[in-house]
Amino acid sequence: MVIDIHAHPLLLDEINENPEDLQFRRQEFGVFKSGINPVDFELTLLEDAKIDKVVFLPEDYSTEVGRAIVSNDEMARIVARSPEHFIGFAGIDPRREDAEEELIRAFDELKLAGLKLNLSRLHMYPDDACLAPLYKICQEKNKPIMFHAGYSWEPNTPAKYSEPIRFEDVAVDYPDLRFCLAHMGWPWWQETIMMLMKYPNVYADTSMVYMDSPKNYYEHLFSVNMNLNWLQNCFQDKVMFGSNNPRFRHVRSLAGIKNLPLREDVMDAILGGNAMRFLGMED
Amino acid sequence: MVKLVENQVISHKEFEMIKITDEVRKVVEESGIKNGLVAVITKHTTTGIMVNEALPCVEKDIEMQLDRLVPNDYPYVHTHMLPTYGTCSGNAPGHLKSMLAGNHCLFPVIDGKMMTGGEQNIYFVELDGLQIRKYFIEVIGE
Repeated sequence: MVIDIHAHPLLLDEINENPEDLQFRRQEFGVFKSGINPVDFELTLLEDAKIDKVVFLPEDYSTEVGRAIVSNDEMARIVARSPEHFIGFAGIDPRREDAEEELIRAFDELKLAGLKLNLSRLHMYPDDACLAPLYKICQEKNKPIMFHAGYSWEPNTPAKYSEPIRFEDVAVDYPDLRFCLAHMGWPWWQETIMMLMKYPNVYADTSMVYMDSPKNYYEHLFSVNMNLNWLQNCFQDKVMFGSNNPRFRHVRSLAGIKNLPLREDVMDAILGGNAMRFLGMED
Repeated sequence: MVKLVENQVISHKEFEMIKITDEVRKVVEESGIKNGLVAVITKHTTTGIMVNEALPCVEKDIEMQLDRLVPNDYPYVHTHMLPTYGTCSGNAPGHLKSMLAGNHCLFPVIDGKMMTGGEQNIYFVELDGLQIRKYFIEVIGE
């Protein structure tokens, strides 16, 4: 089982019938020249890459920009196109008056699988009071959170709000809440691996190619910046394959991970096993 | 007179030679133009338009020679995030192969038909697949 834990659905044709919708999403998310991606072609790309499932992450800053980049209802429509392949997370602007109700609706009615939050875009630290109710709902309903962590390519996203160590209180205060520090928290990957080793509920993903090719970047981070045995022996059950598509192609990010000289059991865990546990698919 | 048609093609491999000879002939014959030129032009910078013999062995030799000239694994400059795109530039080999392949071909149109040699076929060549691609067929004449 290969799962891409980190992809963004904003270019899919299912939700972009109106050209103005596509333009809004491109500007807000910062993918300025990418064209529409038909859902059927996305499935072809996944089949070609031999990826079994992809997790789509929406974002909602509607109190600021008037509408979600991808709403929860739109996400449910995307998932309905191919439930076998697509896993949809919810997106909630925590400043919405109905934030708690909308999150519960996203989980209970729309059957979305987790929550995505980019606190850098929200200009909000993880201990902001308005986030606590959302954390409680996710913990009670056994739904994981994907936090953006570290450097964000999106416009208007100061990294200070998403430094990995800032999430330590969340890990302590919500021990049954699984959350992922996306992008390995780059450039603070040392803080991230501390969090991975210390807290059973903290995960990270590989959507972190900030320079160079995926092959060269993963080699350097895991074998030069780190020792590859740290990944193989210390947090092998915590790192999940993520591509950050459409900023990077699924297939090329995956090839970069597969190029690492990892033990077979570790490779299997990174490519899908850890994501299954994170998503609650093993229950 | 000028007749312009835009066609779409979907590539299903990273490298793929897609024969479009019949599509070009059809556009020429339906254009109403009796004498002139037909141009086939790609809209992209990581694709090519080639003319060659449609044999699997020739196609494979073309692919292998391009790979020898432009290896996938090389310290290319065009390998970083492009701020104006918001996406990564991980396709330097496609750009360089496109330079070698060329972006167009031309054939004469005589008596309303495209004139080619017996073994000449026109290919749309994908060098950075899989993608949804477009190319122009323009017939110019009278």
